[in-house]
Amino acid sequence: MLTRNRLMTLTGLLLALVAVWLKVPLASSQGLTIAVTGINGPLPVTELDSELWRQATAVEVPLSAQIIARPILPQTNIHAVTVRGLHNGDELALLVEWADTTRNESTLRPEDFRDGVAIQFPLAEGLPFFCMGQQGGNVNIWHWKADWQADIVAQRTLRDAFPNMYVDYYPFTEEGGDVLLAAYTDVAYLPAVAAQNLMAAPDHATPVENLIAGGFSALTGLPAERQIVQGHGEWHDGVWRVIFARTLRTDQPEDVALAPEQVYSVAFAAWDGANEERNGAKSTSQWVSLQLLPPAASSGQMDPSSVGQGGERLPLWAWLVMLVTLALMVWAAVHYANLGKRGQAA
Amino acid sequence: MAQDLAVHVRFGPETGDLVVAQGRGVLPPLLGMLVAAGLVDWLVTRTLTRLAIHLPKSDAMIAGYALLGWVGQVGSTLAALLALAGVLWIAGIEWQTRRAWVALALAGLVLLSVVFLVRPPGGWLLAAQGLTGLVLAVFVARAWRVEAAPRWGLLLAAAAMCAALVYQALPVLYTLLNLPGPAAWAKPAFLLGEALVVAAAFALWGAYGRQAARRVWWAAALPALLFAAAYLVQPAMTAILVVWSNGLTLYLPWWLYAAALWCTGVAVLHQWQQGERMRVAGLLLLAVAGYAPQLSSQAFAGLLALWVLLQTSSPRTVSSPGTG
Repeated sequence: MLTRNRLMTLTGLLLALVAVWLKVPLASSQGLTIAVTGINGPLPVTELDSELWRQATAVEVPLSAQIIARPILPQTNIHAVTVRGLHNGDELALLVEWADTTRNESTLRPEDFRDGVAIQFPLAEGLPFFCMGQQGGNVNIWHWKADWQADIVAQRTLRDAFPNMYVDYYPFTEEGGDVLLAAYTDVAYLPAVAAQNLMAAPDHATPVENLIAGGFSALTGLPAERQIVQGHGEWHDGVWRVIFARTLRTDQPEDVALAPEQVYSVAFAAWDGANEERNGAKSTSQWVSLQLLPPAASSGQMDPSSVGQGGERLPLWAWLVMLVTLALMVWAAVHYANLGKRGQAA
Repeated sequence: MAQDLAVHVRFGPETGDLVVAQGRGVLPPLLGMLVAAGLVDWLVTRTLTRLAIHLPKSDAMIAGYALLGWVGQVGSTLAALLALAGVLWIAGIEWQTRRAWVALALAGLVLLSVVFLVRPPGGWLLAAQGLTGLVLAVFVARAWRVEAAPRWGLLLAAAAMCAALVYQALPVLYTLLNLPGPAAWAKPAFLLGEALVVAAAFALWGAYGRQAARRVWWAAALPALLFAAAYLVQPAMTAILVVWSNGLTLYLPWWLYAAALWCTGVAVLHQWQQGERMRVAGLLLLAVAGYAPQLSSQAFAGLLALWVLLQTSSPRTVSSPGTG
């Protein structure tokens, strides 16, 4: 017989099944959230000291050592990154900062490792493993590399690392000039370059590599024409500051598509080259939320003098509601304490 | 549902406190379903499906995990649905006890949670966090008034929720105030809250599990031993699973967590043996909620757990043997 309890159980199950089938979420996110402020006009994609960054609230994201996949380094040096974000409806810029007493931006010598930082977005529904995703749960990774950044500022050769080195000649190169900089007569002599392997590229258009991964040992760089994430980083007084910038929209399934007023999950990783951190030896965060706030109301260029006035604003009545809520909390505590005393007295 | 409530509860004549009329052993069907669905959400979706993410899997294993994931998803969705209904349920009871403003705060929480499903919360998240803070303040005040034995366990559990709330609310407040951040007190609040979770487990054991029979201790040792063994064999993977499933970062010595798990198990099994189904539901919902919950459904489970435990611990309950 269909009792009321059974009917309630069946109704609940049916509703849950329908919600799963239609992919309707019934729980909203409450965790740590990085709010990306909407502004008008161009984003400061290379200006680390732009006043516009003051409009975005920084959130400290804790990191810990990745200790599952080898190589394992139990004591990594970077314990947190500070993140703030801006968007203008078309582009997103994230400024990531972290303390690092050493500046490591060369990998010319085998014993050198670079500093770096990466941002990761899940590509599948739900949250895959926060460290490079998992089977069936790919992630899009933006990896800023200090050596790529340094190469953009000033191209370096092996001679910068080994000033006394000597080379007679390289075969199949054009004669004359600096042998280290001589070009090969046919790029096929450099198969990696011919295959457009970014690791072998003599120069980079951006210091950020755009990658996907579906678990450990599944990291895959996207082709050169798909390197659509811009970046700029500088080290100063023991602090790295790195900007990531990309258009919000994308038509490629391997690139995370973003839109204003939506919430996404994001995770971070960082490497300290001085501590021989590379590949899996790194500090990682868990998933945190990244919300693109609504764009600023007015149009046109942002006036730097209005810094501190932007971002999302709550109306006055909302502040009043919060104030009343706070007052109620205090009143509730006092009221119940008094009620208890009365009860004891009775 | 109103008829269910009429069967299970009545209200104190003087202060309007809820009184469980037919003993604490009677578990409202909604709560029972929520506990079951919450356990599926916690143990299947948030734990089991993540156990083997890095093991090479055969096709059969992949199919098995896909099925497990789907079952977990249904459980999680049901838990989210019932958590919404559960908060409305206690809002209804609060309304009937003439605590209209507590009822409105709870209903407001549900309303905001539903709105946030279709519209990202932004700064409005602080409104939801404010309402949660208001409800927690009421619960803290009520906990202060309950009999001595469960008082500290409930106060510590509520304090842990408050610390997690501060950790989550500070960045939102900074954003609204256009402060550069990061919020200086956020991380200390998080760490303090985690320590309070462990302390609450011991205090709740003191209230609900201290008089447990020896065989209960042996039975409750199983999950604690499982955790300890997993931690000793694979500390990294165990720590990550715990963070993922329960929100605890295990920054304190691992044996403290193992002992807390053991004590919680003893309290749950002892209360089950005593027929105190409401208390069992409350303790399990606390575990389901986890620490610093990422989802509204988990946060609601925490509030419901505190509410249920408060009702069963009230000195005004009709029968109170075994309360401490």
